[in-house]
Amino acid sequence: MRKVILPLLFILLFVFESTFVQMVPPKEFFGGERFLIPHFLMIAILFLTIYGSAKYGILYGVIFGLLFDIVYIEVIGIYLFLFPVIAYIVSQVMRVLQNNMVVTSLVVLFGVAVLESGSYGMNLIIGRTEMTFADFSFIRLIPTLIINLVFIILAVYPLKRHFEKFIESLSE
Amino acid sequence: MPQFFLNKRLIILLVSIIILVALIGFSLRERENVTWPEQFLKDMTGWVQNTVSGPTQYIAGFFENVQDLQNTYTENKELKSRLDELAFLEAEVQMLQKDNDELREVIDKEGSLSAFDPVHAAVVGRNPDRWHELLTINKGSRDGVEPNMAVITSNGLIGKVKSSQTFTSTVQLLSSMDPTNRISAAVQVSGDKKNEKVFGLIEGYDEKRKLLLLTKIPYDAKIEKDQAVVTSGLGGVFPEGLPIGKVVEVTPAEYGLTQTAYIEPGADLYDIQHVMVAKISSMSPEIQKELQRSNEEEDN
Repeated sequence: MRKVILPLLFILLFVFESTFVQMVPPKEFFGGERFLIPHFLMIAILFLTIYGSAKYGILYGVIFGLLFDIVYIEVIGIYLFLFPVIAYIVSQVMRVLQNNMVVTSLVVLFGVAVLESGSYGMNLIIGRTEMTFADFSFIRLIPTLIINLVFIILAVYPLKRHFEKFIESLSE
Repeated sequence: MPQFFLNKRLIILLVSIIILVALIGFSLRERENVTWPEQFLKDMTGWVQNTVSGPTQYIAGFFENVQDLQNTYTENKELKSRLDELAFLEAEVQMLQKDNDELREVIDKEGSLSAFDPVHAAVVGRNPDRWHELLTINKGSRDGVEPNMAVITSNGLIGKVKSSQTFTSTVQLLSSMDPTNRISAAVQVSGDKKNEKVFGLIEGYDEKRKLLLLTKIPYDAKIEKDQAVVTSGLGGVFPEGLPIGKVVEVTPAEYGLTQTAYIEPGADLYDIQHVMVAKISSMSPEIQKELQRSNEEEDN
């Protein structure tokens, strides 16, 4: 049963990101000036890496990175590369750091910042944006980090419990 | 040195960077439509998105309705004042339409570039990372949607179809920064010489000012603020005369050979729920003849 729930959860988050951008942020507040980019899928992958296993985290990073690129962006490679690499970096960082909820939340937020900056860099290289870094950090990075921090605070406990139980069920 | 090359992780990283560059190169080249595995995946997720977006739209709609109720009184007042104008406009449109038909008959011209069949579609999703402004709509090649068709809302052009699958298609917005995203447009210059048009290309988007760039305008063309910009229909794929927006500012281009105009898009490029895909219903007779001739030549 738990084996089915995990992919379902990720597919739901995958679709929810798109629906979130389409519906939730009211235009009056954010639409014109700031970009709030949900990275809920990345957050879940990183928590899976930390509380579950790094192997699963990287595997899900590859699968959903590819899916993300094909379905949403039509440029294959950007998230296919970023998702697993960030999952790997986070798994290495967590070897050094203490495993409590505040620390992990901050590490995941750091992962989101790396993801957003990485996608900015790649899009700058392939010529899909001409934003300067100063504009990028004020228009996109900071609002994005705030919205994702809210999601992390809401999701950290349920995700932690779920992934830990998932790993227990695997070892049984 | 040999130890350096034996490092497994390093080799994995290098190989994956090579694959990454190859994949990005593969998907950035100009292609007609996406490959069939991509189409299949897009259709599958489109189906899931469709089922999810229904209930969310319902909930979002409820809150919107509550907000609307608060504005009803002022809105009603304003609308009533416009109603008188409307009746007058309607009569005029009918007259003009009749005139137009008669004149067309006189010059024996069938169909026009501006005629199209609209395909109505709902937006089911949007690219979450908003570097590439792409929308997913719930109509695909089954309903006659094909790549490069114009996509409009009631307020004007919003973009074109980038790729189409059987049940869904992907729309690229005008605000998407893509060198292949160019649209032939015309500024309607009113004044002494009536009905004169100045042609240019919609190319690029100013992300900070939220304005479209109309480039390649002849240097001697006199364009003023608030003039309307429409599609020119010269590409043969887009219908003629779809409204795009209004001129905000005109500046000389980089080398002074042409001018660049900043255009405020008429349609809201952020809040999009329902769109129409403009399917050209008739090709101009000259193009049709040309096509037939080239086909015959190929056969011979």
